[in-house]
Amino acid sequence: MVYVTGNFDHEPADDHDELPPADPAAALRLIAEQQAEAARQLSPNLLWYYWPWGLAWLIGFGLLFLHLGPNGRVFVDMPLWLPLTTLFTLLIGAGIISGITGARTYGQITGDSRRRGKWYGLAWGLGFSGVMAVLGPVSEHLPEDLAGLLWAGVSVGLTGALHMAGGAIWLDRSLFRLGVWISVINIVGVIAGPGWHALVISLAGGGGMLVAGVVFLLRDRARGATLARSTRSTRSTRSNR
Amino acid sequence: MSGAPELDPVIHAQARLRVVATLATLRGGDRINFPRLQDILQMTAGNLSVHLRKLEEAGYVEIVKTHQGRTPTTLVALTRRGRFAFEEYTLAVRALLDAPQTLDPAQPEETP
Repeated sequence: MVYVTGNFDHEPADDHDELPPADPAAALRLIAEQQAEAARQLSPNLLWYYWPWGLAWLIGFGLLFLHLGPNGRVFVDMPLWLPLTTLFTLLIGAGIISGITGARTYGQITGDSRRRGKWYGLAWGLGFSGVMAVLGPVSEHLPEDLAGLLWAGVSVGLTGALHMAGGAIWLDRSLFRLGVWISVINIVGVIAGPGWHALVISLAGGGGMLVAGVVFLLRDRARGATLARSTRSTRSTRSNR
Repeated sequence: MSGAPELDPVIHAQARLRVVATLATLRGGDRINFPRLQDILQMTAGNLSVHLRKLEEAGYVEIVKTHQGRTPTTLVALTRRGRFAFEEYTLAVRALLDAPQTLDPAQPEETP
């Protein structure tokens, strides 16, 4: 054996599990591999979070734009219920997929993370209930294009704010940036007016989430690899933040 | 130089090192369900229990038996002491790895 320092020149143990790692390098490798495996199993595949929402926005708002474009222009003649039903079905589907993904990943972990996730989920639920309670009766008195802009603008605005809040809760810069992006394009879309808003949200918002999903996935893989390379981390990474 | 750093005998065993390394990835304040931990580690329930008990005796792991609804659950988490011991162990192993291997004064220095 190369390393005869420290306690690595061990006596043979009776139980195989009691055997120390063969040498320091093996010990570090064991730690790194185990932590990478744990991180892989304990963090969600973020594609499953962002792609369903991204597709819902891309397709749903895309259809809304085609139904009623800028200045009342109709690109594809279809009844209003068609894009609306498509959008809401896709949004509900995305919500269910997010719920399943979260439960599968975090279901067996209790404590602070779970409480955070639960309260954050409640903020979404109650927040959107509030939006619906207010906009439902109000939008009845508005022409179709303005009612649509009101609904979409307020909902997307709340989504952006909640993403930013999520970034603040988990100190996740990417999540915060996504929230900023959604908030900004929402404001730009609302200023541009009915029709344009749907186009902006479809392409920049839905497309943005599809991109964000891939970016987050790659980032997590890279982070896992970094964690695997260095466990010295806890101190040095904290100070790097 | 006081020689090679001492390695914590509780953690310095492959199986328990894997358990502690896994628990160290949880965020502070979180606990993991026994079956999920077992699943990640790919250990038998009996085997994992034995190692957890040893870690608990050393004060490195806290095991809480509770109920989620009507199902009894066993929750596992690293204690502060356990987290500290793991960090110390990692540092000690790194020190061993980084240390020049010509500590013996009888041997000539390899590098100037």
